[in-house]
Amino acid sequence: MTQNPYIDVLLNALLAVLFIIITSFGLGSLARYLAKWTGASKRKQESTFAGYLFASPWIVGFLIFVIIPLGYSLFWSFTDYRVTDNAPPNWIGLDNYAQLILKDTGFRSSIVNTLFLTSVGLPVMIAVALFLAVLLNQKTRGERLFRMAFYLPVILGFNTAVLLSWRLMLNTGTGIINQLIRALSTAFPPFSYLTRGIIFIQELISAFFLGISSGKYALFNRVLEAGLPAANRVPLWVESPLWSKMSVVLLMVWGCGAMMLIFLTGLNNIPRELHDAADVDGANDWQHFWKISFPLLTPYVFYNLVVGLIACLQIFEPIYVLYRDNQPLVPSAISMVYYLWQASFRNFEIGYGSAISWLVLLLILMVTAIQFMLQKRWVNYELY
Amino acid sequence: MRTKLLTLFLLVAILITGCAPAATQAPVTEAPVVVTEAPVVEEPPTEEPVVATEAPVTEPPAAEPVTLKIYLLDYTADTITWLKEEINTEFEAMYPGVTVEITEGSWSGWDTTFAGFFAAGEGPDIINLGSEMNTLYGPSLADMEAYLGEAAWPDIANFGPALENAKFDGKLRGLPIFTAPRYVFCRTDLAVGSLPPANFADWITFAKENTIIDPATNSLTQQALVPVDAGSMADWQWWLLVFYSLGGELYEADGTPNFDSLEALATTQFMLDMRQATYGPATDAVGALPAGQGSVIDVNDATGANNGAVCLAHSGWAAPAFDRPIWENISIEPFYGDPANFPNSKPVVLAFNDWLAVADYSPNKELAAEWLKMAFSKDANHKWNETMSLIPSRNDAQFGYVTDSPQLKREAELASQYGVGFAGIAEAAKLSVIMQEALGKLITEELTPEEVVTQIQEQYIAALGE
Repeated sequence: MTQNPYIDVLLNALLAVLFIIITSFGLGSLARYLAKWTGASKRKQESTFAGYLFASPWIVGFLIFVIIPLGYSLFWSFTDYRVTDNAPPNWIGLDNYAQLILKDTGFRSSIVNTLFLTSVGLPVMIAVALFLAVLLNQKTRGERLFRMAFYLPVILGFNTAVLLSWRLMLNTGTGIINQLIRALSTAFPPFSYLTRGIIFIQELISAFFLGISSGKYALFNRVLEAGLPAANRVPLWVESPLWSKMSVVLLMVWGCGAMMLIFLTGLNNIPRELHDAADVDGANDWQHFWKISFPLLTPYVFYNLVVGLIACLQIFEPIYVLYRDNQPLVPSAISMVYYLWQASFRNFEIGYGSAISWLVLLLILMVTAIQFMLQKRWVNYELY
Repeated sequence: MRTKLLTLFLLVAILITGCAPAATQAPVTEAPVVVTEAPVVEEPPTEEPVVATEAPVTEPPAAEPVTLKIYLLDYTADTITWLKEEINTEFEAMYPGVTVEITEGSWSGWDTTFAGFFAAGEGPDIINLGSEMNTLYGPSLADMEAYLGEAAWPDIANFGPALENAKFDGKLRGLPIFTAPRYVFCRTDLAVGSLPPANFADWITFAKENTIIDPATNSLTQQALVPVDAGSMADWQWWLLVFYSLGGELYEADGTPNFDSLEALATTQFMLDMRQATYGPATDAVGALPAGQGSVIDVNDATGANNGAVCLAHSGWAAPAFDRPIWENISIEPFYGDPANFPNSKPVVLAFNDWLAVADYSPNKELAAEWLKMAFSKDANHKWNETMSLIPSRNDAQFGYVTDSPQLKREAELASQYGVGFAGIAEAAKLSVIMQEALGKLITEELTPEEVVTQIQEQYIAALGE
């Protein structure tokens, strides 16, 4: 009998359903037994059984798809395990962690790059999202269209067409972004000085971060010595190690639609009476925003900050999309998760990759805990 | 409520378990094949060469239903159609009960997919690999000498140098499909100065004379030489090509990397000199050629303007299509190295190839070998490559469209004369990262050529030690 892959899939699905039913029933029975053991009433036992029976598909899924892989990952992080070696994992204790923390300069670079993207990219992202939310909160014609337009990047993600568009837009010579910079610089000479100043400062910062990564500051000194760039200089977006991270920041900002929606919700939740009262007091637009809207938006800023920070510390996709086939620029933009992917899926060192993932997790937990501790100082929950 | 739930559960369970035995048949169907193959597959060919050579001939066709799974990456629709309609159909007729299943994947993301196969210890029997992957996957690939070695299959003698890329530890792991070397294509109508530049000094002069920067945009409008990565001009594969052309060997006799050699330093210096002759100093921040359509050494049909490159050091697929009129003005050469300073210099075309390997976890190794023999016969290897206009890896398959096309004929001649395989690189993935990081810092002038080779040597030794 020739095998039919479609029937195989169907049967596997049915077996999965059977497995879920059995495990759900088992978990429900276990819960009921425990309830009985603790002296619960018959009615309580039945409701415990029913509750766990219906919740157990998710509990089982969580166990299978989260807890068990987590356990394996933790175990592998203490082993030398390479899937292509055709050999079982070899226990090496803390060697992977020691290598990563003390010796691996590549991992150090990835941490520095991730910090750059977080410290530069995230504030810009939040600022742009807030700015767009404030603009779109005004009653203007076509506001829904604008909202959709700014949210569209979140839906589009980083597909091939998007990648190609960005590559074309970021092209140094003919890309629309640099063409606009050139046109504006020609039309308004002060803009040229502004652009050159920004280029100089950005390249200086990038060179400094690259210096931290490598421990050598020759490039930083060279940029500093060169001084203000020539009048015809434009950013070398996806072309120079000095601009590789800023190109990623651009893509991050482009995808700030989700943050914008959250701010928009927050703005809509602010009672109109507060603004009316401020109008009576003669407040101008800036005072409206800074004295009323922003303080009441701080819980939303905090949420975006926490979620955004976690996303930034796990950043992978924009770097993969921009530099996957532009290998010379990868080292200057590589993030921790890209490094993890490289170790796990290019070098196939699953043990080493697992250790990286646990270090990333620890870092995220630490940063998030600090954020929660600091929130008391600046987040205003009075309205909520 | 409990009774109702229990009844519902029992009904569903009975219904599903009624179907279950069919699902469990899948592994069972393959089991007899494993058993019948076992004595042959596991037999080390060196111990019992006679048995090994006879085995493929005496093995009866598989009696049980078996699916031979093949995973191919980015082949054209024509190729897949031909494989399915001709090769697979013929193979299935020859082996009743065997179904050949081709899965089409992409080079984008292949590594993650393959990691899954090897981690799970199951997946396609035959997988599609690139040149340098023999060292990476080698331990997980089946030793196919017993089935494809010269004693078992005399046709193997007809394969060209690309066959080396399909080996690990000196043992065949599969067969190469095509050879795709990297040549130096030059526009004879555009070039200022003599072609081809025959040493490093000539190349530097050539780069200066043939590169044009538009001062208005501070970007290139014409680039003398476009290597694999046009922007950085410091791709690690390009570095290796230049290194080999100086007579450089990647490893010493004891396996120590050779990045501390004179050839390595000269290659790195050449990378920097060429970059600066083209783009100027790093602080000039000159922009690269604009991304365009078609080959970078072709002419834009709509505007009549050149696409920007005078010379292109790349595979044939990056050159114009063979029917383009521009070929009247394009020469094809190897890279000649620097004979003026390095007497061991030799013309080189760096040969890449795709190959099909048999995974060690496969329970159908013999069937896989039989399918490979059919798909890599003289005519089949010719046909497979004809659908893609590539050079077949079998020397005797290089006829018809290969010899009819002056470009392919020239490329095939250069490949057989000067081809150096891009293979045998230990920890290739790690070396690429190490080299790209160091070479990236070379072009930004963050590191000197001496520091670059020292860094690569140290980090590569550490990577090999791990």
